[in-house]
Amino acid sequence: MPSRPEDPVLVSSRREAVVVFLIWLAACLYTVGFSYAFGYGRDPATLRFILGMPDWVFGGIFVPWTVCTVLSYIVARYVIADDDLGEDMPEESLGSAASSRREARDD
Amino acid sequence: MIECLLAEVTAVQVPAVGLGAMIALVTFIAASVWLGTVAQRVVEKSSFIQGYFQGNRGLGAWTIALTATVQSGGTFMGFPSLVYTSGWIVALWIASYMVVPITGFGLIGKRVAQISRRTGAVTMPDLFRARFGSSTAGLVTSLLIILFMTIMMIAQFKAGATVMKLAWPGSTELALVEDSAGDEKVAETSASTLAQWWKTADQKYLLGLAIFSLTVVGYTLIGGFLAAVWTDLLQSVMMFIGVMILFVLALKATGGLEAASRAALESGGPDYMLGPGLKGGSPFLPLTLAISFFFFWPFAGTASPAGVVRIMACKDTRVLRQSIFLLAVYNMGIYLPLIAICICAKALMPHLDKPDEVIPRMALILTDGLPLGSWMSGLILAAPFGAIMATVSSYLLVIASGLVRDVYQRFGNPQATDYEIRRLTYLVMIGVGAVAVGFSIFPVKHLQMLVVMSSGCAASSFLIPTVLLCYWRRATAAGSIGAMLAGGGASLVLNLIGLWRAFQETGQFANFQPLYLAGLDPLLWGLLASAIVGVGVSLATDPPEQRLISKLFDAPKG
Repeated sequence: MPSRPEDPVLVSSRREAVVVFLIWLAACLYTVGFSYAFGYGRDPATLRFILGMPDWVFGGIFVPWTVCTVLSYIVARYVIADDDLGEDMPEESLGSAASSRREARDD
Repeated sequence: MIECLLAEVTAVQVPAVGLGAMIALVTFIAASVWLGTVAQRVVEKSSFIQGYFQGNRGLGAWTIALTATVQSGGTFMGFPSLVYTSGWIVALWIASYMVVPITGFGLIGKRVAQISRRTGAVTMPDLFRARFGSSTAGLVTSLLIILFMTIMMIAQFKAGATVMKLAWPGSTELALVEDSAGDEKVAETSASTLAQWWKTADQKYLLGLAIFSLTVVGYTLIGGFLAAVWTDLLQSVMMFIGVMILFVLALKATGGLEAASRAALESGGPDYMLGPGLKGGSPFLPLTLAISFFFFWPFAGTASPAGVVRIMACKDTRVLRQSIFLLAVYNMGIYLPLIAICICAKALMPHLDKPDEVIPRMALILTDGLPLGSWMSGLILAAPFGAIMATVSSYLLVIASGLVRDVYQRFGNPQATDYEIRRLTYLVMIGVGAVAVGFSIFPVKHLQMLVVMSSGCAASSFLIPTVLLCYWRRATAAGSIGAMLAGGGASLVLNLIGLWRAFQETGQFANFQPLYLAGLDPLLWGLLASAIVGVGVSLATDPPEQRLISKLFDAPKG
């Protein structure tokens, strides 16, 4: 076990990544599932049009796309936490060692 | 696509449109150079590396949202042709763009932004080096990136030059024929003397190449990262406006989407309305490929080196959150209307010889006779040129930062001063530009084949290692290197098998398809191999140093 508690940004990012992954999974299962069930190998005579789209495109793609756009707002607004990303290190250890050496030389 | 795009303008339609396209191109070029100089002023205010390669981590929501995950001009250019050819099923092919905004920023965005700050990382290899404390991990990352991106960038130079050439107001209808013939002539006579070569060379193409290269290398060199990002934003916004205009005009011309769909059903047959659709006589999107593409768009873009650098450059987490929603609206507003436009195109012109021409043709037909019509079509025709410039510019920077920071500064001269780094960066950019120009004058055979392979390999190389880097304490340097090589390698093998099979069947490498093992795209096998090797090798090697991990995984002290 780590001696210190986990970094709060790590904790929130991981939680958000899980939520995002689940949304991806749900979108994938629904969109591909619905489209396959109602859009593949079907009798074209039964096709209806909704908003000008074949019904399976409306139900299988347009609807989830709209839902995902709304979800994007909800996730961005309420799920993802604002965190302090921390101070920017001037440069990496190697670089800073080099620059401090350089400063010493300049002195 | 691009060849056809402007050949169309100059060859078939009203001459005034040719002028409109040229004016739009020149405007794009002028705007980019101006953005370059504005960016330079911002860069001057800071240390060179931070400012030039990262824009001082100051990107806001618009620049992040509309440039970090929109991959390249190709996404916008090949897609309309596909809808025109195969119909509504392409909506399913592209459907996963509905989650790209959340996956693109929500999976690794915040952690990447945080780790890059805590380690002072400016490039993607910096991230790997710092997180694992291993210069080998950094070097492998940068070599892979340089390899993949150089190949992909060279192809873009040729595309940009061809657009310039065909937009030339004096071009004749033979433009396209001349183009392909010109290439061979150039290649054949490359060994003869310079004077002879110049006489036989395709001079318009060379002039186009010269203008394109000088512009792109020029403004990127002047303004660095910010110049690249701003040009990219400019073309994304232009594209959006163009699509909106076309969408309204197309619906008006066909009397609504339903009428267009029914007309398309008449000419395209039932396959045009249903899955799995048809392309070239075989099923377009069997179930396994439909699933594959739900992986492809969200995950291939998430950890692309050019995209990761932009996420690292975001100002704060608020910017990331806003970007998600902004991009969600953008994607929905551009892809769904594009599909509708191409369905309308099928209704209006059912038998196009070259489906690649669908958008330029629609632009010309629909704006004909409108006030400012030639300007509008010029804008729509020039947008892909803007996309090509933006892509080249961002690749050029990633390659230059790879060579200068990740290779030279780490292994050559760690004590290099800001001035030396700046000078070397300029030299490298000019050098890389010259190499790309050289390859565009004397084209390598089968370049397109290499491009397809490297984009496939790049997509499966970096996602898993980046996820491990962000979230798994136990991941080791060897594990991440293994994950990168296994991901890219698996994809490469499946591509090579496809190539070999195409050669067996047709005697040619052109138009090969990778081997879809079990019907799935190579990306999926690449990601699977990458995950297994990444986890396996990490567990088999010694755990990483507690000091390194603690710095990035434990709460800051005090």
